[in-house]
Amino acid sequence: MKRREFVKGVAGSLSATFLLPAAARALSLIKSPVRTNRLRPPGAVPEEIFAGKCIRCGRCVEVCPYRSISLLDIRAGVYAGTPIIAAEEIPCYLCMKCVEVCPTGTLLKIRQEETRMGIAIVNRHLCYTWQSFTICRTCFDVCPYKEQAITLDQLRPIIVEDRCVGCGLCTHACPVTAEDGQKAINIEPIHAWERVRW
Amino acid sequence: MVQSRREFLKRTAALSAASYVGMTLPFREEGLARAADDTVWHRGSCRLCGVGCRVELGVKDSKPVALRGVPKSRTNYGYVCMKGMLFWKVMNHAERLTTPLYRAQKSDKFKAISWDEALDIAAGKFASAVKEHGNDSVAYYGSGQALTEETYFFQKIFRGGLQTNNVEGNPRLCMASAVGGYLTSFGADEPIGGYADIEKADCMFIIGSNMAEAHPVIFRRVMRRKLDNPEVTIINADPRISLTSRIADIHLQFKPGTDLALLNAMAHVIVKEKLYDKKFIDDYTTFKTGKGDLADLAQYEIFLADYTPEQAAKTMGGKVTADQIREVARRFATSKGTMSFWTMGLNQRKQGVWANNLVHNLHILTGQLLKEGADSLSLTGQPNACGGVREGGGLCHILPGHRLVAKEPLRNQVEEAWGIPKGRIPPKPGYHTMAMFTAVNEKKIKAMWINCTSPVQSLPNCNLYNEGMARDDTFIVCTDIFPTLTTELAANLVLPTAFHFEKTGVYGCTERRSQLTRKAIDPPKGAKPEVWIIREWGRKLAEKLNDPVITQCIKPFEGLEEGYELPKAIWDEYSQKLTKGRDNDLRGATYEVLEQMYDGVQWPAPTEEYALTGGTVKKFVRGMDPMADSHAKDDRPYQFYGPAHPDQKLWIWMRPQADPEEIPDAEYPFYLSTGRIIDHWHTMSMTGRVKELLRANPYAYIEVNPVDAGRMGIKPGDMVEVTSRRGTNVLPAKVYEGPIEGMVFVYWHDQHPDRMINKVTKDAYDPGSKEPEFKICACKVQKVSGPKALKPYIV
Repeated sequence: MKRREFVKGVAGSLSATFLLPAAARALSLIKSPVRTNRLRPPGAVPEEIFAGKCIRCGRCVEVCPYRSISLLDIRAGVYAGTPIIAAEEIPCYLCMKCVEVCPTGTLLKIRQEETRMGIAIVNRHLCYTWQSFTICRTCFDVCPYKEQAITLDQLRPIIVEDRCVGCGLCTHACPVTAEDGQKAINIEPIHAWERVRW
Repeated sequence: MVQSRREFLKRTAALSAASYVGMTLPFREEGLARAADDTVWHRGSCRLCGVGCRVELGVKDSKPVALRGVPKSRTNYGYVCMKGMLFWKVMNHAERLTTPLYRAQKSDKFKAISWDEALDIAAGKFASAVKEHGNDSVAYYGSGQALTEETYFFQKIFRGGLQTNNVEGNPRLCMASAVGGYLTSFGADEPIGGYADIEKADCMFIIGSNMAEAHPVIFRRVMRRKLDNPEVTIINADPRISLTSRIADIHLQFKPGTDLALLNAMAHVIVKEKLYDKKFIDDYTTFKTGKGDLADLAQYEIFLADYTPEQAAKTMGGKVTADQIREVARRFATSKGTMSFWTMGLNQRKQGVWANNLVHNLHILTGQLLKEGADSLSLTGQPNACGGVREGGGLCHILPGHRLVAKEPLRNQVEEAWGIPKGRIPPKPGYHTMAMFTAVNEKKIKAMWINCTSPVQSLPNCNLYNEGMARDDTFIVCTDIFPTLTTELAANLVLPTAFHFEKTGVYGCTERRSQLTRKAIDPPKGAKPEVWIIREWGRKLAEKLNDPVITQCIKPFEGLEEGYELPKAIWDEYSQKLTKGRDNDLRGATYEVLEQMYDGVQWPAPTEEYALTGGTVKKFVRGMDPMADSHAKDDRPYQFYGPAHPDQKLWIWMRPQADPEEIPDAEYPFYLSTGRIIDHWHTMSMTGRVKELLRANPYAYIEVNPVDAGRMGIKPGDMVEVTSRRGTNVLPAKVYEGPIEGMVFVYWHDQHPDRMINKVTKDAYDPGSKEPEFKICACKVQKVSGPKALKPYIV
């Protein structure tokens, strides 16, 4: 690349930044970090009020024996300092210690089976068993609610939506990893988007 | 990474520009499409369990890239399980051993040495042990995963060359009781039918087998049969409700060790309700008392009088009702074809042979044998336990071709085939596995060769035997592809070997099927096929002992290329000279024939033309089995020509219910049983190194019944201590409606010292088969702490 083209490119990209509407930039700082496989710890209140309720004390992170929970950094904008679980890296083992220590009720004191961090969705186009490549039952085997949250139909995994706690053990264990890092079973945190009834 | 200021600026600019406009750099797909095209697929067998799936290894630029099933194979029809699909990933693993390692003392660190030095040391140690302490001071401990050629060649050097029958292998821990059962009931080892019966069976009786985990591809066939034909009955008898029970119509959950009562009670119902096949019994059956004396049906009925369904239900712990036992017996007897499956639940028991006999009894009584869809099928654990060890002479009491060491004419046949002097093979069988490691403890064995297995982890009550192996009194050579607990603790000399698909050889699976795997890629530089190691070692041994007979043992194999020619010559010697006229006649299954077959050949297969049809699907049936025609003694349709029964009949044995060696008491109130999980193979030295499989099951855990867990305050994930009279483990708990109340269950693959369950298991063994009772012992269980983050542990 010639020096001239380089300078052009830098100048172009800088000016493009300035051209972006301020609202869009601000949005990226207040956009919730919760998405596929990025989950709040058990008992979390809906995203609508999570950042407001959480005082960023980090106790849930400290108490987690598996280091499943980590704190978001400054790139998360207003969500910096709030806890997050990356399901495919270290899932939640449902020891329920974090809900005990949360001082604000951002993580409500719920029982293990009441946890709803999300629900697992099987990508049938990726799943080895659904594609009939091989016999794999890994997600079923690792599920803490075997036969309840995941059942098998002719050895193929089926999620029981109202029993799945969304812990991500299945996502973590899934042997299939697509090019984009997605697993054949992923956790969609649908409960995080519930509206709060005031 | 060093980068100049200019590059840094460039990258920063490009990245920030891309991120600001929210663009992802496009993915280049044309590379992917080409990748599939220049992959060459090499046919072979799966390296893992005993099902014998046929697979193809994809090789690109002489590197393995993928593995897939062979759709035309009659074992798996193209299906593989997860560990089968992924095992090729260990071939390029960074921890592969690539140079011989030696240490004079077991407390020293290993240092790398050359192959020449290594074989010199190995030959020197074995030679001096023989000279100073006699022939029986050396031993070979092999594996049901070694190729037939390897087991055969090892035992040839030990028996013919070193004149000892101390030739054993881990199949003693796995299917010795099944061998005992087949020999005593049918007069010939190995099943009569095979997997082909699954698609014809109307009733399947699964006892002591969690085939859903241990033989997933066969389980899939059974499941398919059930789903396509809902009227097919599946009965699962097991103290633990497992994944296999999912497809069962009836699950009989009994107290561990009471299954002999169940099987006798089923026979009781069959005899009482006259559901037996009178003509079949009259024509083909002999009754035997427990001591082996002749008996008849009336005496058998008297023997069974104690086993009323009511009485048996009581013995079995009360979860099974008498009516259930009656129902099961009726369905077993009256279906169009009944198949039984079992594995370690019956074999790894102090009454292993008896339990096997009792299953065969039911089949003989009802005539559920020899016809379509009826068989008494013992599923084998390892890929070559049948082919290499049972048929190839890999145990202390047998010679190649199902010959007994104790019989002189049979020994002479082998000596003649090898061209060695008569009387060279000693007449006394060697140490069986448990006796062999006891002899190591007693310092009677001075030099030992451990091939392709890890007894430090896999022996029951391993603390006891590891003491002896860790001492410097026994010089131990290990041949393996990875470091294992055995190479770390016990070995003086570690020799790196070629892996599956890096060498050529035959595997024989459960259903008498021999299948060839040809070399597809070169082993890593420095690793050698076992057959080469044996030959080179044998030559040095001959020199050091100055024994021309050892030279004679390796003479037919001198100068051959080790990747294909050498194993082919060994296979030819074994199949042409030693299986000729035996019940496992493999003369037709030459490399040329095996290479043509999508799957393999089921013996007996005396000629190549016959072998090309796939061989014998059903033994003993005239018109289906060439040996039944050539060995016929009359004109009946079934001919039981097996070598162990002189009267050429099937024997029904009177075997009483008997307790396991250790039953729970006040101090140790729980039964402990162990088993396998789908993602891991044995001691995990291979599957633990595949990250997908390790992630799925990073460590072993203990399954506790919810009722027991509630009583003891154990919650899921809590750390639990399980202790027996022999050792202790600390494992995370899974509270699961699996094991029956009063029983806990642990997976045995974990290498971590805290989670190695064989420290806890019991080393009592069956007096007949000498197979240890891994499956039942007494233990106590207690919670030690809440959940803890654990790390997987691989040596």
